[in-house]
Amino acid sequence: MQPSVAQALPDRALLTLRGVRKSFGAEGAGGTVALRDISLSVEEGEFLAVVGPSGCGKSTLLQIVAGLMMPSGGQVAVGDAPVTAPPDSMVYLFQQYTKSLFPWRTIIDNVAFAVEHRDGMSRGRARDHSRPFLDMVGLGDSADRYPWQLSGGMQQRVAIARALAAEPRILLMDEPFSSVDALTRLDLHNLILDLWTTRHFTVLLVTHDVDEAVYLADRVAVLSARPSVIATTFRTELPRPRDSIRTRELPRFLELRHTLLAMLLERPHDG
Amino acid sequence: MAERAQKQLGGRWLGVALVILLLALVEAGVRAGAINAALVPPPTDVVRRIAEILISGDFIQPLGATLYLLFIAYIGASLLAIALGLLMGRFPAIYNLFEPLVELLRPLPKPALLPPLILFLGLGDLMKSVVVGLAVVFPVLINTIQGVRGVDPVLINTARTFGYGRLAVLRKVILPAALPLIFAGLRVSLALGLILVVIAEMLAGTGGLGYLILDMQRTFRVQNMYAWLAILAVLGYGLNAGFLALEHRIIHWAAARPE
Repeated sequence: MQPSVAQALPDRALLTLRGVRKSFGAEGAGGTVALRDISLSVEEGEFLAVVGPSGCGKSTLLQIVAGLMMPSGGQVAVGDAPVTAPPDSMVYLFQQYTKSLFPWRTIIDNVAFAVEHRDGMSRGRARDHSRPFLDMVGLGDSADRYPWQLSGGMQQRVAIARALAAEPRILLMDEPFSSVDALTRLDLHNLILDLWTTRHFTVLLVTHDVDEAVYLADRVAVLSARPSVIATTFRTELPRPRDSIRTRELPRFLELRHTLLAMLLERPHDG
Repeated sequence: MAERAQKQLGGRWLGVALVILLLALVEAGVRAGAINAALVPPPTDVVRRIAEILISGDFIQPLGATLYLLFIAYIGASLLAIALGLLMGRFPAIYNLFEPLVELLRPLPKPALLPPLILFLGLGDLMKSVVVGLAVVFPVLINTIQGVRGVDPVLINTARTFGYGRLAVLRKVILPAALPLIFAGLRVSLALGLILVVIAEMLAGTGGLGYLILDMQRTFRVQNMYAWLAILAVLGYGLNAGFLALEHRIIHWAAARPE
């Protein structure tokens, strides 16, 4: 296996991070540096996972990419356009589905929220636009229910449908499967892979779950402990379509899992 | 759940029975001469008086005057309080600008403002609307600010990631998310508003239920005084019940949601 440091940025990158740093509070004087120097590129159509220990600033990194938070230094760009506010081309999928769905809206109207503010959209047209996306996640029958009437896994499906309804080029996922039970998680993994395969978007996923990262991604980047840098990136080189059971039994899967876990466990404070 | 609701309903009928029992005791006391009928007329006479007032339509004009004053002041002050509360809750600069003024006026018992207001605005409807509005505005304002501040940042970021601008976030996320607390403030304010309407009418009235109650007392028409008092009580009850029904319609999701 050849760990390669991802500092060289290829030309056809859709999403690029150059020297992104983030500190909270006054730097040096009681403030903390969360991200030291993150450079990363994601190619069009790629599924990239970033793994790191808890508190390494994964969510901070993703929020900066999403334009929800400004970096203290460095730059994020989609194509050639620097990100200074949430761009139309990206949608952020939050970990806490219970907090990201609107309790006053029905399921269909939660999904319609993704597009109803756009020019020329009425509430009715937004609903029509949203129905196929709700069907894609298998919740067409729950359109008129409320989020709090659904299970956790179903709620996260609604959040996924809503994210896809905006038809983003890039989907940013912030540990989206970490608050559902283990079996539901495997289900949602395959759902996301199916949707990614059929709808051709680009994914940047952050997670602390090594299994999940290796199973889903084309490439896995390892974030060091705070203040974080990208330690290494690996190509997973696992065959697709992936299978919940068989892919996890492949020698390559086990090898990657071993290497990544060893990095995360044995050197948690390195960096 | 159903069993508990049933028990509560049973408890409620018990409470109604208590009211009827108390009225019957008063009735018996007056009839027996133990209570001075000049101060407390027999409840049955008062009920008859109420029936006469209702049948003759005499209630329409004073009730209308009271409701008109209440609604003008209540709706105006509530809208103002919600708008200002959204801004104060969302923008620290606006909060810092208004906070001292709010904290100075808020704890002041609003009837104390009647003398200076009468000085500036006279005895008309304008003065009365202003004092009622002053009573209504603060509970709604404080609750709106709290409601806005309590909105989970994840909800706001969700809207931002879909490209919603500041104003759209305010209207489509923050306002609905704050509604349960805003409604709690509105309910308190409705009761306060009615109190202030009655006080203003007593002090500077030429009509309305508050004026009538005081006027009947001054002219020794004690039966009428109690009749109007009872009508006022029913009005207060009806307003609250109507408000609860409206609240349930608009934010049914807040009550139905677990937690």
